Amino acid sequence: MITAVLLLSCMVVSAADKFTVYSVNYPLAYFAERIGGEHIKVVFPLPSDVDPAFWEPDAEDIAGFQQADLILLNGAGYARWVKRVSLPRRKLVNTSAVFGQEYISVAETVTHQHGPGGEHSHAGTAFTTWLDFKQAIQQARAIQLALEKHQPEYADTFRRNFALLETDLECLDTDLKLLTAVNPKMLFIASHPVYQYFARRYNIHLQSVMWEPDVMPKEQQWNQLDRLLQKYPANWMIWEGEPHKQTVTKLQKVGLGSLVFDPCANRPTQGDFLSVMDENIKQLKQAYLKNK
Amino acid sequence: MIISSLYIAWHYVVFNKVRTATLVACITLIAFLPMALQLVLTESERLLQSRAADTPLLLGVRGSALDLVMNSLYFDDEVPEILTMQAADEIGDTGLAYAIPLYVRFQARKQPVVGTTIDYFDYRNLRVAKGRMLALLGECVIGADVADEYGLEPGDSIVSSPETLFDLAGIYPLKMKISGILQRHHTSDDQAVFVDLKTAWIIEGLGHGHEELNKTQDKSVILKRSEDSVTANARLFQYTEITDENMDSFHFHGDTTIYPITAVMVVPNDAKAGTLLRGRYLENTQYQIVRPTDVIEGLLENIFRIKSVIDAVIAIVGLATILAIFLVFALSVRLRQRELTTIFKLGCSRMTAVRLILAEIVIIVLMSGIIGTGLLYVVQANTDTLVRILIFS
Repeated sequence: MITAVLLLSCMVVSAADKFTVYSVNYPLAYFAERIGGEHIKVVFPLPSDVDPAFWEPDAEDIAGFQQADLILLNGAGYARWVKRVSLPRRKLVNTSAVFGQEYISVAETVTHQHGPGGEHSHAGTAFTTWLDFKQAIQQARAIQLALEKHQPEYADTFRRNFALLETDLECLDTDLKLLTAVNPKMLFIASHPVYQYFARRYNIHLQSVMWEPDVMPKEQQWNQLDRLLQKYPANWMIWEGEPHKQTVTKLQKVGLGSLVFDPCANRPTQGDFLSVMDENIKQLKQAYLKNK
Repeated sequence: MIISSLYIAWHYVVFNKVRTATLVACITLIAFLPMALQLVLTESERLLQSRAADTPLLLGVRGSALDLVMNSLYFDDEVPEILTMQAADEIGDTGLAYAIPLYVRFQARKQPVVGTTIDYFDYRNLRVAKGRMLALLGECVIGADVADEYGLEPGDSIVSSPETLFDLAGIYPLKMKISGILQRHHTSDDQAVFVDLKTAWIIEGLGHGHEELNKTQDKSVILKRSEDSVTANARLFQYTEITDENMDSFHFHGDTTIYPITAVMVVPNDAKAGTLLRGRYLENTQYQIVRPTDVIEGLLENIFRIKSVIDAVIAIVGLATILAIFLVFALSVRLRQRELTTIFKLGCSRMTAVRLILAEIVIIVLMSGIIGTGLLYVVQANTDTLVRILIFS
């Protein structure tokens, strides 16, 4: 009994002492879990029903991030809250910095001018970087290097784990490359502008609208879609989540099939990053098979 | 016999109040001044050296190393040449050290506003005594002395001061919310208002928050509107306080890597990394890396050179004072000739007269000693404050 209590207390202490890594989105948390294994504690403190890109942390959440040993940022302007809070600079790892030159700019239509700063616009950057699996590998490597720097004693384990993850991501990348090469002229419409890197890497023709999966689009949005289809005759609409059944039916009437490609920014209720991506590719494969 | 002499001498010094007071003041000052000076200098040396020793390296624009160190370590209001955040990034990129940027330029209620990152608190081991660490844009944590002096508590606000009094076209002061009060550290940190670097840039006007121009109902703020552009005029209201409601509207224009800072605290991985870094910046024409201990040693050498001059002056003045006191007593003996004659006629010996005069001297010296010790005690209890007023201000 005493031995068991001692063992339990040792486990509690070692868990508390573990190198703690905080992440701003699930893909990075998943990569860190895979690479760090048992040597690190990965914390992804967001509730499961929010989009991590637009999450607003409270002071308590920020205190958690401040006390972390390492904070994984996605970069590319992801998680705008990061710019509005005080985080320890030394612990920040911008995982996409290495391909920062290749970020995709998202043009914003409105610019304004006031004060001494001159005319400016708040143009953004496309941030779903991990949907290009080559970029995802680079982000995972950034995590591996950061972990190695802070915990050199486990460097060999981190390298080994990274190699396994790299193989998995390479497989996803190859699958998509082979799949999209079948019909490079296929046209897609994205329900949200989050697939820019995905489209660039896998040569997918994509136009975006601003539709929510769980909200029935308004008449105005249908009209806009009609106009878009006249000049861009797409066959499929890619959704972030399972779309409304009525929407799917109505889309079928205008010749658009629906498929889900979940960016998996938040922790899935079932499975993990890889299983979600496998399912995404499966859905995409069906679309390509139907349009072969 | 001695008691009787002291009794008579005491009554004599009490009767000649002005003469006694003058003599006591002279002796007290001559003894007190060099000792007080020594106390203040010893404390300043300790404070300067300990703070400098706690800061391995400082990066700044090539120029006055003393200004750089005094501003970065003691938050002196002499602002060194401005550098950009890129300099801090470059230090981090070397992999030899990590960088803690500092922007010490603004004030709030005459206290320095120190813009930095959370790393500063970790490095200086500054803990929050009340409230919590700063977390959001527009928040600040204040030193223990600032809290005591102005009676501030977490949840209160403090407003940044304009840089110049008549800065009519300048930026609005920023009302900052106090999120916490730091534990007393007995350093310059106790007297500072700490904000995130981004908040310091908002104080400067490089970041701001305002109503979204394409949603505003007030047409008078719009100067020009086109399909893809909205231009506002100076009437556009900018927020002077960052709240939960307007925080989203705060933004920075341009590339933040070229935003200003006053210095970078460089914390090398080890001594070798520190030496390598110093070597790399030796030939750099734009930036300098200084070791604060070297700069402070130079400053202390100058201070002690001045102190030895002051000591010499005090010694000469002291000698002159002692001679003057001797003269006072000699004249006093001559003036008291009739009194002494009476003492002799009463049958007292010459030694009794000498004992009376010696007793007077003992009483006067004793009074000076007591007053001087009291003053020294006061100085010792307040050396910290005195050093800040005399040396750092």
